[in-house]
Amino acid sequence: MLQTFLDFFSFSDANVLYVVVGTVLIGMSTAVVGCFSVLRKRSLIGDAIAHAVLPGICIAFILFDTKNPLVLLSGAFVTGWLSIVVIDFIVERSRIKSDAAIGLTLSVFFGVGMLLLTYIQHSGNAAQSGLDRFLFGKAAAIVGQDLKVFAGMSILLLLTVLLFFREFRFIAFDPDFADSIGLPSKRYEILLSSITVLAITVGIQAVGVVLIAALLITPAVAARFWTDDLKVMVVLAAIIGALSNIGGAFISYVAPSMPTGPWIIVFMLFLALLSILFAPKKGLVFKRLRQRNNFKKILEENVLKLMYQLDEQDNGFDKYRPITELMAKRDMGEKMMLNALSRLKKKDLVEEKNQAWLLSKEGLSEGKRMVRLHRLWEVYLTEYLRLPSDHVHETAEAMEHVITPELEKELEVLLNHPEYDPHQSKIPYAD
Amino acid sequence: MIIQVENPVVEVHDLTVSYDKKPVLWNIDFSIGQGQVIGIIGPNGAGKSTLLKSVMGLIDPQSGYVKIFDKGLDDVRGRVSYVPQRESVDWDFPANVMDVVLMGRYKRSGLFGRFNQDDKRIAQESLKKVGMQGFSKRQISQLSGGQQQRVFLARALAQQTDLYLMDEPFAGVDASTEESILQLLMEMAGQGKTILVVHHDLQTAFKYFDWMVMLNTRLIASGPAKDLLNEEIIQETYGGKLPLLSALGNLLKQKDLPIRE
Repeated sequence: MLQTFLDFFSFSDANVLYVVVGTVLIGMSTAVVGCFSVLRKRSLIGDAIAHAVLPGICIAFILFDTKNPLVLLSGAFVTGWLSIVVIDFIVERSRIKSDAAIGLTLSVFFGVGMLLLTYIQHSGNAAQSGLDRFLFGKAAAIVGQDLKVFAGMSILLLLTVLLFFREFRFIAFDPDFADSIGLPSKRYEILLSSITVLAITVGIQAVGVVLIAALLITPAVAARFWTDDLKVMVVLAAIIGALSNIGGAFISYVAPSMPTGPWIIVFMLFLALLSILFAPKKGLVFKRLRQRNNFKKILEENVLKLMYQLDEQDNGFDKYRPITELMAKRDMGEKMMLNALSRLKKKDLVEEKNQAWLLSKEGLSEGKRMVRLHRLWEVYLTEYLRLPSDHVHETAEAMEHVITPELEKELEVLLNHPEYDPHQSKIPYAD
Repeated sequence: MIIQVENPVVEVHDLTVSYDKKPVLWNIDFSIGQGQVIGIIGPNGAGKSTLLKSVMGLIDPQSGYVKIFDKGLDDVRGRVSYVPQRESVDWDFPANVMDVVLMGRYKRSGLFGRFNQDDKRIAQESLKKVGMQGFSKRQISQLSGGQQQRVFLARALAQQTDLYLMDEPFAGVDASTEESILQLLMEMAGQGKTILVVHHDLQTAFKYFDWMVMLNTRLIASGPAKDLLNEEIIQETYGGKLPLLSALGNLLKQKDLPIRE
């Protein structure tokens, strides 16, 4: 296995190198173009285009009796474009909404395509073998002249996006405003639609008609999880597209009987799943971690607060208290409290002596702060939300962990440094 | 009461606009003068936004024309800026505040060129004018409704034009932001800029605007705000559509008849 791996990635076989370069370019270009489809909320139209290129390929083959990729691509381009026009026409000129229009166009074009393909296959034309590649794609089988054409197309697509990046971003975000400043946004929309059709036509070589939508949409969606910057998003999508296609080509190399297209999609989904789970900020794991950290922080702050309250009751701030005394004041699991205490000890917020605990100087001021925020918020609720004093405790329990030092200052000024909370407890200010 | 002005900044002449065959604006004809904050007032569905879009050339009228500074729009595009409705774009789009404001500098930075230092300085100044300095790196998805609105305003300010067309700039904006935006608009009017504002709140309209255009699919009135504050005009504007006009509009659509021969 390792040997095969090394054989593949050393590119000692020139053929392997060509296939990899070709599929990488295809993967990158569809992913980059797909970013704009997704952002313009036209991803599904991509799927319709994919199905609509099939009749174009067949008609081109019937008319010119050749498998020259440029001829077939031209046919694909024409019917692909036609499907966009048809969808837009239906939406504009009838009551049919875009989802139905897309479904309708997709199935009609694909149906005609299948009809033509069957006709060709039974026509006895020997040259037709391999036409069905367009249905399922086969990245590893693209060689020679074809490869050059598809690679060239991909480079053209990438250059177009590079050249018109600002304009594409502009019309994707706010086409009305683009119009208003005299940007020929219709022209750029046509250009964008054209490169989408082209990207799909090229991408079909790798994964086939049915799976091309994934090639277009998945990298963009995955990349969006990592960044809020469109430039970064496009680059990431390109990388995800490239990696997945390398993966697919590799599987093809190892096991020629394996279907390349589905494998490309499997790799892509894997990368998308990684993004959904592990991307910082937006990833699910990150969110879960943040929740956990919040939970810990709240727990620790509650312990500090309760130790301060006990000290406040006794009016003495130097007494080491055993865990039982702390537990009596607040109902939480012993293990949970011990964990919180040991974390606080590590942060030098509490000191321990013979399994009894005392707030350190910093801990004392932190506990004091919690109590202060709690009581200030209670005052705020009674004054500004006109809540009766027996309704304010619950909310203050939560808000004391949310209020930032800036908001605290604002709160103090707004309330004019009140001396007591609504329950007549003294509000402890920082010394 | 429809008062036409001398040397108008915007002249709307006999404008009829349809959506899907059905007219939403009937023979609108008015003109407005320079250096004022002008309100386009009317109920929901009165065609206020449609009127603004027609002036901006985003919708083609069935008949009539619009002249700006006595010229066609294409000759004076550099002197007009447009603030679309806040909801018209997807605020989850991956962009930051600076990206959006710089769009206002697009034309002047050339087709392939990058935004230069001047563009960036002007964009920063525009953000400052709307009280959003320090927000330039902020993701637009993190903005509040009022902040989104102010970013749109800043983008228009960055265009440095003479005529501003604003579609509901006070929608979803809190009272203090509304106050500060209005202050800014008045200041601009004082400097000779003309600002056309679509506004649906009658309560505040008479307080905000120097001149008002009252609309309900047809033009009700156009004149100084203080002269329009009477029961009759308000009743006509907000008192519902004209039944005959609506009936004809529906017929045009149902029977697929042309509105002009």
